[in-house]
Amino acid sequence: MAGDGRDERAWVRGAQAGSASDLEALFRAHWARAYRAAYLVVHDAAGAEDVAQEAFLAAVRALDRFDGRRPFGPWLHRIVVNRAIDWARARALRREVLAEAAVSAVPAPDDPPDAAAPSAGILEALASLSPEHRAVIVLRYFLEHTPGEIARMLELPRGTVNSRLRRGLDALADVVEQDGEG
Amino acid sequence: MTDLRTELEFAPLPGEIEAQQRAWRVVEAAYREREQLPRRRRSLRPVLAFAVAAAVAAAALSPPGRSVGGWIQDRVAGEPDAEPALVRLPAPGMLLVAAERGPWIIRSDGSKRYLGDYEDASFSPQGRFVVGTAGRRVTALEPDGDPRWSLARPGPVADARWAPSPGFRVAYREGDTLRVVAGDGTGDHLLARGVAPVAPAWLPREGRTVLAYARADGTVVAVDVDSGARLLRTPRARRVREVFWTHEGLVAVRTQRELRLHDRRGRLLRAPAAAVRRELVAAVPLPGAWIMYAEYDRRTNETQLVREACFGRGPCIAIGPSRFFRGAGRLRDLTLSPDRRWVVAGWPDADQLLFLRLPSVGKVVATEDVRREFDPGGSGGGAFPRLAGWCCARASG
Repeated sequence: MAGDGRDERAWVRGAQAGSASDLEALFRAHWARAYRAAYLVVHDAAGAEDVAQEAFLAAVRALDRFDGRRPFGPWLHRIVVNRAIDWARARALRREVLAEAAVSAVPAPDDPPDAAAPSAGILEALASLSPEHRAVIVLRYFLEHTPGEIARMLELPRGTVNSRLRRGLDALADVVEQDGEG
Repeated sequence: MTDLRTELEFAPLPGEIEAQQRAWRVVEAAYREREQLPRRRRSLRPVLAFAVAAAVAAAALSPPGRSVGGWIQDRVAGEPDAEPALVRLPAPGMLLVAAERGPWIIRSDGSKRYLGDYEDASFSPQGRFVVGTAGRRVTALEPDGDPRWSLARPGPVADARWAPSPGFRVAYREGDTLRVVAGDGTGDHLLARGVAPVAPAWLPREGRTVLAYARADGTVVAVDVDSGARLLRTPRARRVREVFWTHEGLVAVRTQRELRLHDRRGRLLRAPAAAVRRELVAAVPLPGAWIMYAEYDRRTNETQLVREACFGRGPCIAIGPSRFFRGAGRLRDLTLSPDRRWVVAGWPDADQLLFLRLPSVGKVVATEDVRREFDPGGSGGGAFPRLAGWCCARASG
């Protein structure tokens, strides 16, 4: 879990001043949520690691320019979720290319289901949505951002965010209900 | 939705702890590298020996990065202070990057959006849309990748370019023909036959619909698309690679070995003696009468950026320092920022993007690991992305 606001601001200031221990505190406070958010969108362990790692690298390189009065989490979440959407889109394209190349009979190494991944319940239902729908669900119900914040993060009209939330929740409810009945 | 929140929060994920340990090593290495590399300003950058940044080396040790380790060893060293990722643009606006798997929009804060499976793309005048081509289809896209309209043709299409504001026309090639469609996707029609495989170029004047294009016979023609009037035709040139307009309204034709400038009647104003061992790999018009171009020397395997003033009469001339940057391998895709203060170039041999501060390249900002940046989840060993535009003056990013 992320530390409180004062801790976080102190870690950011410390990291900006050259303290690796403060950077580590910031990293450990935010890694789990960043990785989880990425995984919930990309549904691939290596992809989630890649996305979360790149987001932290971007944070390190932008550290000097980061306004320490602003919360670190939302800024990181924006990078994570946008990169996760891109990763998922690119993977979907790779699958199409592979299929066209007539090698689709052999699953690509990074294709789900991941052998060690959770296979049941809401996560599986989430995987049935598009990356864009998964992203708004994750931002709203896991990272707990408001629809307005999500609209700004994803640079979407607020109405689009609301409609994606509605459609996403409807789809999740359907799948979960079917699971329950099965 | 309490259950949903709880499920999302607590469901066990594969590899979470190990991923954290690996990622921390990478992040920490990048952080220490950041401390150890002071910023330097140089007006002429020397060619550098082989090197790999510590952060990239650390990244290559992690599973997502391991596969890129092999080819990283072979690339030339680029700027030593390069950022490991495209964190932000040095100027406002949006950068359009056409990667192997499709185009991306990068905003000034570094956030990116993958637009989908298109082979080529370019901005509409205000950056409100992107027009992309894929196979036999031309598609206008919202900046988040949602299609606005799409047009299918019998033959393969390429090089779609949107006319300047108000953006009522889009030109594109279908095989060896040039076609024009209205900005809303209607009224598609043939404009010319026998065109060369070179992107057409609209005169960058608001409200004008003058289009220059290269013909298969080596001439370049400019026509008013709406009236159909031919405005100029240039003498033949060999191996036309690019056609563009200068800010002075001259037609510039880049061939393999020279940059030819033509006046509004098509008369040749400038054709410097071909440099036998040099290849002209990129060019871009700068504000005023300036043009910057990249010369690649096969003997030394170096590219040098040159800036000259071309006034439309007489030869282009160097005013003040004219040679600014030199690097190993080839640079390409010189692209001017909307505020006209930066030029960005692709540097495939170093796997870097170079942002060069104008007018005299007093500052260079580089970002590395570019192939991988635009191939998330991939090996990063594919084709180097092409820079397809930097838009727009009013875009806030």
